[in-house]
Amino acid sequence: MKRSSTLPITLGELARIQPLAGAEAHLADPSRQVVQVVLAETFDRLRRCTPHNLVVLHDEAATGGWSLAAALHLAWERNLSAVVVSRSVAGGSSVALAERLHMSLIVIDDDPIEVALQLAGQVSAPAAARALRQARLAEQLAEQTGIRGVLGVLNRELQQVPVALVVGGVVIGGQSAALTERPQVRQIEVEVHAPGERSAARLVAAVPVPGPASVEQVESLLRLARPSLQAAWAQSRLDTATRAAHEQAAFDLLRRLPSAPSPADVEVPGWTNELGWQVGEANRAVWLAPLRPSGEPPPEITYLIRASWQRGHTTWPLVAEGDGWISWHSGADPSEVTALRRALAAFRDSAVAHRLVIGVGRAHAGVAGLMRSVAEARLAAHVAREEGPGAVQWFDQVGANAALAWLPTTEIAQVADLTLEELMAAKDRAALVQTVLAVLDSGGSLSQASQRLGVHRNTVLARLARARQLGLTYDEPGQRLALHVLSYALTTLWSDTTAD
Amino acid sequence: MTGQPGYIGASSSITAEDVPALYEGAKFYSPAVGDANRSSITSWLAGLLDRNGPVPLLRVEGVPPETPCVSVCVLGSGSAMADLPPAGDEFEMAVRQIERLQRVSFGAVYPLAAATISALVAVVTAAQLRVPLLDADGMGRTFALIHHTAMHLSGVSPTPLAAVGPTGESVLVEVPDGPRADRMLRANVDTVGGWAALAAYPTTAGVLRRAALPGTVSRIANVGRLLLDSTDPDLLVTRLGAITGCRRPARGRIVELEHLSRPSDVTIPAHPSSLVVEELGGLGRQLRIELRSEIVAVFADGALIAGAPDLISLLDVSRGVLATLDSLEPGDLVDVLVTPADAVWYSPRGMEMVGMGSHGIPLAHPRRR
Repeated sequence: MKRSSTLPITLGELARIQPLAGAEAHLADPSRQVVQVVLAETFDRLRRCTPHNLVVLHDEAATGGWSLAAALHLAWERNLSAVVVSRSVAGGSSVALAERLHMSLIVIDDDPIEVALQLAGQVSAPAAARALRQARLAEQLAEQTGIRGVLGVLNRELQQVPVALVVGGVVIGGQSAALTERPQVRQIEVEVHAPGERSAARLVAAVPVPGPASVEQVESLLRLARPSLQAAWAQSRLDTATRAAHEQAAFDLLRRLPSAPSPADVEVPGWTNELGWQVGEANRAVWLAPLRPSGEPPPEITYLIRASWQRGHTTWPLVAEGDGWISWHSGADPSEVTALRRALAAFRDSAVAHRLVIGVGRAHAGVAGLMRSVAEARLAAHVAREEGPGAVQWFDQVGANAALAWLPTTEIAQVADLTLEELMAAKDRAALVQTVLAVLDSGGSLSQASQRLGVHRNTVLARLARARQLGLTYDEPGQRLALHVLSYALTTLWSDTTAD
Repeated sequence: MTGQPGYIGASSSITAEDVPALYEGAKFYSPAVGDANRSSITSWLAGLLDRNGPVPLLRVEGVPPETPCVSVCVLGSGSAMADLPPAGDEFEMAVRQIERLQRVSFGAVYPLAAATISALVAVVTAAQLRVPLLDADGMGRTFALIHHTAMHLSGVSPTPLAAVGPTGESVLVEVPDGPRADRMLRANVDTVGGWAALAAYPTTAGVLRRAALPGTVSRIANVGRLLLDSTDPDLLVTRLGAITGCRRPARGRIVELEHLSRPSDVTIPAHPSSLVVEELGGLGRQLRIELRSEIVAVFADGALIAGAPDLISLLDVSRGVLATLDSLEPGDLVDVLVTPADAVWYSPRGMEMVGMGSHGIPLAHPRRR
């Protein structure tokens, strides 16, 4: 552990610990240093104060509103750090005058002599005072069980220093101002390791330099918050895992209902309400899927997706299903999509960050309708993959082309590797396959194909001859469909890889 | 007094027409005093002057130095005087008692303070005794105690002095030490009726030439005429400045009254202990005006800019008249007027007696910094 700083304590730090923690503080500049505490009984004593002193008024120097006004003026003349005074003396106009003179005024309820003695001790041993503050903060942090609570304590304690908890560039708690780069602000980061030793999150604080708190101190306070955050993180992950499992099971049950004898009469089971789900009216499903499916996503990702998808729509479900997530929106009016459009727009950044595509189904009534909409959304999501991360595809706009999106292009390409060995070994295979596809798409018309490819008709002819030579016998009726599909799959796959 | 309205300079006599101006001017120099017995005292004095003729007003130098002179004033509360009005002979009786004691016949009368009602009763006494009034006084404004006078600073004893109450009872005091006289008198004022006519500082015109403050009676008459004449605050302040040397450090709006006993209760007329005024224009300073029985200090943003013995008064800008301290309310627009007191009060002994220290404010007067 680093040695704590012995720099003079600042006003902002003093105001966070007893005896000033409970006082009414009007701090003009919390970053002002306090080098000495003076208990001033007389105005003569006030006049002898040196800059950066904190003065506690007492006796003759605290006899009424006028004495505080005169003391504030003297403090301003002497460039003192702050004036501390009993509540009986300070009225609203004194606070106004302090603000006008840009002088810090602290109003106390305790005995001024005792306060001055305690302050003197704190000022003479700044390291001890800081340790006291850290201890107090540790107590407060220990009381927090949630991520928001922990960040709330940090942000309250480190006034003027915004703190945020960040996972992969996304702020999941605290003040996002911590991430904005500004002049005279130093960003410090503390890693928060999730259980399992992988670095899951960072605590980021933007410390103004010069400011009320030193960089080292903020860092040690952030480190202090780390265990609480880890606990809160683990707790919430535990909760989320439970909930996700619960939702998954419930959705499976729901899925089985329509296959009952008469699907149209399926009643919505009561347990869906326990999960906060709405089923029964017009249901429009949304499928969130990774651009490159790679098996079941890890629970951390599910947690993050849930956090950003459910921002503002806590009742919308999110069920992990296969390599993606299902959600749906239920409403009385099937054509009402404003809320959904808004949610999709808000989710776009997260979708791009996590490389997701989104498919939206049509609105159908009832549980059976929901399942149908889910299937549509899934189909639409497959189509959306062609557009890259963040793409949204509505099933209404897909049509029969959706069938193509279902083609397992990777597997088909593997078929090509085995059956068209010569073609796959050719350097110009992409141009050849593309040309064959264009000709087949154009119903055999060479001129249309050459137009679509933007090459001369003779070039098309030459490529077709070479393709046929390499095994792509597209003009044999028995093989045309297979080769058409093969060409489509290869072109899609190669254009995807080159796009990446 | 002769001359047209607005005449500035020493006057030679006081007539019934001068009484309203005299009253207003006397009020200027004692801003804390209310108007409780305005009509009774002015009509009494005007009637006297009508019957007995004008009272000659003489400069101290215009009187032979051996002429015996005595000062008069009202001792005690003005509201008590309104409740129990004078029978009419109290001041004459008080002077006669000292005449009998000292076996002299006073050739002139002068006010102990040319301010408040005491300025008018001096004219009453002179009219009743048919002697001239001296254009001089002991304070040049009002102070709380009877030894707060220029005569006391010059070594003139206030005693023997006589105090006559409205019941006709009287107290005669002789002490070797001036300040003791006030304490002995205060103890008796309640008993004799709440207020008393006081005759004190019997001395000669020759002593008064060096010990009294000259020209103060004609000054209040002139100030009074300006106050009656003009209600435009800017014009009034300029004209007052020419006669009294007063200046206006700030104009502002009252934003807060701080009371000693009842914080923030403005519906009950209590004596506020502090006024907070936001300056309009200028630097927009926050003025804090400290009140005791009078205004004793003005702070601007916490810096002392005026204080006792300066005479500090507030001018109600919307009405163009002086504001009395019991009529102030948040929202009032006021001019702060600071009139320097006579030079003798800024001497170390004067400051010690009537400066801000005597009001519990241990700060150096702005004139001495």
